[in-house]
Amino acid sequence: MSTGTLDKLPIGKSARILDVGGEAALQQRLLEMGLLPGVDVTVVRQAPLGDPIEVKVMGYSLSLRRSEAANVQIETTA
Amino acid sequence: MTEGHARHDRHVIALMGNPNTGKSSLFSALTGTRQKVANFPGVTVEAKIGTARFENSEITVIDLPGTYSMAARSPDERVATDALLGRIEGTPKPDGVIIVLDASSLDRNLYIGTQILEFGLPAVVALTMVDVAESRGITVDVAKLSETLGVPVVVINAPKGRGLDDLKSTLHRTLHHPGKVLELDYPDDFLRGVNTLYNELCDLGVKLGFKPTRPEALRLLVDGAGPFFDECEEVGGEEFISKFFEIREKAAGGRSLSMHEAQTRYGAIGKWMQEVKQTETREGRTRTDIVDGILTHKFWGSLVFIVVMGLIFQSIYSWSGPLMDAIDGSFGALGEWVGGMMSDGALKSLVVDGVIAGVGGVLIFLPQILVLFLFIAILEDLGYMARAAFLMDRLMSRFGLNGRSFIPMLSGFACAIPAIMGTRVIEDRNTRLTTIFLAPFMSCSARLPVYVLFIAAFVPQMKVLGFIELQGLVLFAMYWVGVFAAIPTALVLKKGILKSKATPFLLELPSYKTPRLKAVGRTLWDRGGSFIKRAGTIILAVSVLVWAAGYFPHSQEVDDKYDAQLAEVESAYADSILEFNPEEDADSLLAQYKAIDDAHEERVAEAEEAAEDDDALEQAISESKAERNAEMAKLAAKSADAEQALSHYADWKALEERRGEIENLRGGEHLEDSFLGRAGHVIEPAVEPLGWDWRIGMAAIASFPAREVIVATLGTIFNLGGDEDEESETLREVVKNAERKDGSKLFTLATALSIMVFFALCAQCAATLAVMRRETNSWKWPIASFLYMTVLAYIGALVTYQVAHALGG
Repeated sequence: MSTGTLDKLPIGKSARILDVGGEAALQQRLLEMGLLPGVDVTVVRQAPLGDPIEVKVMGYSLSLRRSEAANVQIETTA
Repeated sequence: MTEGHARHDRHVIALMGNPNTGKSSLFSALTGTRQKVANFPGVTVEAKIGTARFENSEITVIDLPGTYSMAARSPDERVATDALLGRIEGTPKPDGVIIVLDASSLDRNLYIGTQILEFGLPAVVALTMVDVAESRGITVDVAKLSETLGVPVVVINAPKGRGLDDLKSTLHRTLHHPGKVLELDYPDDFLRGVNTLYNELCDLGVKLGFKPTRPEALRLLVDGAGPFFDECEEVGGEEFISKFFEIREKAAGGRSLSMHEAQTRYGAIGKWMQEVKQTETREGRTRTDIVDGILTHKFWGSLVFIVVMGLIFQSIYSWSGPLMDAIDGSFGALGEWVGGMMSDGALKSLVVDGVIAGVGGVLIFLPQILVLFLFIAILEDLGYMARAAFLMDRLMSRFGLNGRSFIPMLSGFACAIPAIMGTRVIEDRNTRLTTIFLAPFMSCSARLPVYVLFIAAFVPQMKVLGFIELQGLVLFAMYWVGVFAAIPTALVLKKGILKSKATPFLLELPSYKTPRLKAVGRTLWDRGGSFIKRAGTIILAVSVLVWAAGYFPHSQEVDDKYDAQLAEVESAYADSILEFNPEEDADSLLAQYKAIDDAHEERVAEAEEAAEDDDALEQAISESKAERNAEMAKLAAKSADAEQALSHYADWKALEERRGEIENLRGGEHLEDSFLGRAGHVIEPAVEPLGWDWRIGMAAIASFPAREVIVATLGTIFNLGGDEDEESETLREVVKNAERKDGSKLFTLATALSIMVFFALCAQCAATLAVMRRETNSWKWPIASFLYMTVLAYIGALVTYQVAHALGG
């Protein structure tokens, strides 16, 4: 088990969200879009220029910038 | 509609839900063609209002912008709450609400669902995308969902027309019963905070001018910012604010309030879903995953993107050309036809040069707008717009924009009008305003004639580094002038006026869908109509104003002077020549000579297009001339009458030329004498440092409604008439030889460059400003854009001229 942030999670890997931080408006948006503690998230791919990334959460695809993903604390089980 | 409550056969309902849920197609299916755009003052989003019929009742449907949450940090996000509570002037208060939920991502869709249900309005859930959900192994127990939420749930498929009648009859039943308020298990401190704040707000109620609701108290407590907060601060003052933050701190209990809210909502949703939803894990990838593997692939994805963008640009830039030419041509013909039936004078000029030309000037933008929106509508419907934004976000974020800004910016190189209208695809308000402000900096196709005229006249034809054409290089550089000005502008805007703490770019990548022809057609109809109705009137008004400035006072003295000249010239010719009219006397000998001559002119025009160099052209012309002379001689040899007619024809032609010259001089003098010409003289001292004289100054002023007008204005002021275009050799020569009062050359390379830079940066387009006003719903933005770009253009032209002049240009 290891912890880190979502922006560092390799493509194809899944993790469970521990906490979501960031500036108030950003934190609120992340939470609203379903990135909240206890939820599983998978990194699907990154854009050709390396940023943003696409994640699967709550059964849908969400694109977010790495700088935004850095506010999402995760733990990987494998 | 205000008596909606009293009569049982009329109702108002709001349509709400996430984006990409099929909300718009439900709206279209319910209302058909009976819809219009609702005007919400002070916001950049818009809603549609339509009418649906059910049995004997009429239902007014308000289609609110799709959103993921009711949180309101900007006026745009506040619209949903205000509309739901009936607080927008001119928009009726809803009696109920249809909540559209996408079955394939029900959890996230229910987030705003729970927020809406807390308002306690009679509600019906319209469950969409059940087939997509099933293909992913998700089954939703509709009865269970309805029981859990406490509201009826109807499965619909709007494009196929399924479930609509059921939805309408369910809605009809529901509207006659009071709604049930959804109560979630918030933490005690949080709930206490909401209640305390609610009581405080009720005390403020009188000053606020409306009765606050509990859901609003919750929003204010959690959001702690935004338009509602500002309002409360204004009426409640410091006393309220200090109480507010005290309540907030107690309610939060050391954690963030958004976290409390999200965990409560998603916690409840998660629990419900265990009973409502069953998910079978399916092996293999979904269709969307497979397509995305290609369309967002590092190589293939980029390739497809470049091809698609190239196609969009090419079609706006050149493929809409024939349509635009057709509009231009038909309005020119209409003007001529109407003009032919009216007698000369101010009224004729107003109708032909003011109104007809003005209407043509509005419609000319339609092809580009429709072409861009054809692509946007198809790509948005398909789901590709989100992928394009995903691909380009990195690049655009460097300039403080986001991936959604790319297509509008690209379109700006063809025309700023569709570009500004295209910014609707950007959800974030500040990013959208920045993109709107920057779009006119992209060098649009109307600037090209200006570049072509001056580059051809003043930039020498030579090669740089042995293979790059200097003329092409200068043209290329002109396109970059706007981009270079736009970059610092973007950064200043985003860091300054439009500063927002963070504009997150969280973007749902929806599953791919087949575009619906009807929806695409609807979008085109809406966009085209809204442009004509809302921007068209302003553009037309400006065209008429500038026509008047260039026409009046139109003194009789000038006319008398040229009428006298005309009479003097004509006195030397016989009546038969004076009265020859090629159209009426089509069978006469003179007309036959004219036909031969016209054929020659046509051959010359063709040769000018086709000839590779000057020598070839000259040879072609002399060959054609010889052919003409031979044909004329042959005709003359037939009879004595024919021989005499030849010399009459030569006289008539000489007379026509003199007449034309006099008319051009007359036009030039009227223009110089007009208010516009006088304005040119007035601003001469200001434009002298740019290397201009009053004539260029006047042409620049005349070009404020539409920059391409400069070419025709220069044609008129240099006594060539108003029909010159940028390819005209004559205009080029005249411009090259024009002199200042002291006899020195008016146009030098430095002056030409200064004019081009001015035109590259200046907001000379009434249509752009009108569309900006329409899209931002405020005059603030077009005025700011106009002032900023004009000042920037002046400085740019000043620096260009002074530097180029010093270097000897």
